[in-house]
Amino acid sequence: MFKSSGGERVMEIVNNILLLLITVTMLFPFLYIFSVSFSSISDVLNSDFLLWPKDWVTDAYTYILGSDQFIRSLWVTVYVTVVGTFVNLVFTSTMAYSLTRNIIGQRLILFLVLFTLLFSAGMIPTYIIVKETGLLNSLWALIIPVAISPFNLIIMTQFFKGIPEELTEAAVIDGANDIQIFSKIILPLSKPALAAFGLFYAVGHWNSYFSGVLYLNDPAKWPIQVILRQIVIVNEPNAALGGHAAMVEALPPPETVQMAAILLATLPILIVYPFLQKHFAKGVMLGSVKG
Amino acid sequence: MKNKHLIISFLLLFLSFMLVACTDEKTGEKETNKENETAGETEKAPDKEIYPFDHSEKYTITGMTFRFGDPPPLSSPGLDMINERFNVDYKPEIIPQGDYVEKSSAIVASGSMPDLVGFQAGDTRFYQWAEDGAFLPLDDYLSHYATLGKIPDYIYNSFKVNGKIYGIPRYSQPFPLTPIIRKDWLDKLGLEVPTNYEELEEIAIAFTKEDPDGNGKADTYGVAIGENINPSFNMGTYWDFNAWYHQNDNGDFIPGIISNGRKDLIQFFANLYKEGAMTKDFAVLDWASTNNEFYSGKAGIFVGGVSGMSQEYFEGLLSINPDAELVAIPPFEAPDKSKGFTMGSGNSGILALNAKLAEDEGKIYRALELVDFGKTYFPAEKKNPQNADFDFYLGKEGTGYNMENGLPVQVPTFSSEGLSPSTYFLDNREQVPEDAAINYADSYTLPELKEMTVTLQEMFESNQMYIDPSHGVLSPTNQEKGTDLMQFLINEQSKMIAGQRPVSDWDALVEEYLAKGGEAIIKETNEGIKAKGYTEREWK
Repeated sequence: MFKSSGGERVMEIVNNILLLLITVTMLFPFLYIFSVSFSSISDVLNSDFLLWPKDWVTDAYTYILGSDQFIRSLWVTVYVTVVGTFVNLVFTSTMAYSLTRNIIGQRLILFLVLFTLLFSAGMIPTYIIVKETGLLNSLWALIIPVAISPFNLIIMTQFFKGIPEELTEAAVIDGANDIQIFSKIILPLSKPALAAFGLFYAVGHWNSYFSGVLYLNDPAKWPIQVILRQIVIVNEPNAALGGHAAMVEALPPPETVQMAAILLATLPILIVYPFLQKHFAKGVMLGSVKG
Repeated sequence: MKNKHLIISFLLLFLSFMLVACTDEKTGEKETNKENETAGETEKAPDKEIYPFDHSEKYTITGMTFRFGDPPPLSSPGLDMINERFNVDYKPEIIPQGDYVEKSSAIVASGSMPDLVGFQAGDTRFYQWAEDGAFLPLDDYLSHYATLGKIPDYIYNSFKVNGKIYGIPRYSQPFPLTPIIRKDWLDKLGLEVPTNYEELEEIAIAFTKEDPDGNGKADTYGVAIGENINPSFNMGTYWDFNAWYHQNDNGDFIPGIISNGRKDLIQFFANLYKEGAMTKDFAVLDWASTNNEFYSGKAGIFVGGVSGMSQEYFEGLLSINPDAELVAIPPFEAPDKSKGFTMGSGNSGILALNAKLAEDEGKIYRALELVDFGKTYFPAEKKNPQNADFDFYLGKEGTGYNMENGLPVQVPTFSSEGLSPSTYFLDNREQVPEDAAINYADSYTLPELKEMTVTLQEMFESNQMYIDPSHGVLSPTNQEKGTDLMQFLINEQSKMIAGQRPVSDWDALVEEYLAKGGEAIIKETNEGIKAKGYTEREWK
């Protein structure tokens, strides 16, 4: 270890203060949501700003957890996230690995993947495909159309390319076939990548909302984000569109309920992160090729 | 080399796919329309007269519409009741309002337009699709029905395309939202209900500076207002940004948003803004927050209507200010001596029938019977279990609703569990007949809210209302650019209120609007107004 100079120390202090400020700005909205959700409605109405509940009230939570719909949609989202992320990782990793091997038409396939990255078909053609494949009103409509993200696929391909050839060569000499190489050598070495992409995919599934509205007609199958939006977003009369809007067609629930809903819908996916985080830090090449 | 060819040919293939994908949306619609047209042309003369209310055959009837609250489940007791009563297999698809435009477009583009199609008020797709022949002309059928047959022609006129009726209006009461004021604050400061904008300005400033709630803190102000300068606080049609009332030098009607009345109103707001007598951050406040400013006892002037008011909000206000009393502000006399508010368009949505139904007249009758029943008006004395239709509509007493103090009260889960058939009708807003004597206060239980409603209703009934000539008039330029232009004007006028742009820039702003397409909108709209036979301003 070197002795750090004065300038370095100043730098470190400034750095820490900045990082602390950024952290506070990130945590602040959560704290606000948390406080409002545990406050009474009159407290929220009467104070401009709440950073800590004056008195703890759990009405908002009893209200939300008392409705079947919220809990049911939470399970739907958990299901879609777990199954969907598994499907994502299986398809992305197998395809990415295939693309690192010398297969016929490899470059063409990569080109097509890149193409979809740049040009998407648009909502209506995608809707038609989902409809014609009979996926409408099925949870698979939220999983299959987004099974492989081209962006993640390309990054994963690059990641696999970074794994030294010698490892696979050694395995081939030991008589391993492709599947064995993939499952016994490549995947274990790719834990950090899988964890990272798993997290991306999972958060994506968790937060996806529009496909739920678009492909599912049955409110019982809606993911949590759709329900959340129904709870939080007020249907605004648009003054620019004119017309005498009714006061409020359907009243939004009070702010405390909205905040409690946001918290309940966000918490589960936040909890996943620490469990995956330990995989990110590990070195990729740990215990393979000694250089 | 070979590889290169392959890639190029694949690329070409892909490009062609892309093109197909891009044009798909259009062709999808066109194809269905072609089918519809042929279906329409081969309208076979019915070999026998069909009795409209014959239920011997079972029909599958599909539909889609928007809903502001949560859609009901896909299978439920309420839906079974409808299927049994009308001998149908009814499949309504009810979509959250925020996503309705996108989802319904996708459904139609994918070639599966349902039998019944709902639209929000002012959705221009209704007119475009009707023009393309996607819908069924209804003129020959409406007279069979108790409710649909009684809707006045002048309302149907807004839904005519090429002289035929294609749309069924969703009722909206004709009274707009108009300004209301805290009577208790006025009394405390010894002020009267205002009769012109000067007085209103003084009051708003007094509400800001003279502690009308008497709590010793400077925590009140005058006018609660939010983004898009909404509510607009016009004290009559003369100041209404939405009404076509003012005329230019050629005698053509012009939209209120560029009129001198609006200019005076913007000046009025600019004065209030300087004094801090209106919501400071109005430009970024959504509707719920704007309501909150008023119902939390901060602001003393807002808007109210004879129906659709929220008892919860009102109760919230009373919990903070138990003495709160709200009264309507009667319309002011305008510089041109006119006095009165603008009448609403009479619809809050549209329902159309798929042109494909023309193949089977029996199905048309059945579909319309469903629509008609959903819109049935029950006068107060018939809203009880003794009326079989009403009892059915709300899903039977004890299941879908209960009688409390002589009023039907729906159970909280009537929609979420689909207990009541009413929630499945695409248009389930009762169509109030012209001559119905309604007491709007009846629909509330809170005495203070009842009183306010009474003041509003008396005010509307004792004043004339202006009939906006632009209702139901289509201007292609307006369909294309109207919303953006309106937004542009509202943004610039918001700047004027906040003092970022001088109000003296008004004429320049109007010129800008005219150059950007306003000219064409005015020209086209006036042609439409003349075609309707509307020449002199009409008050009712």
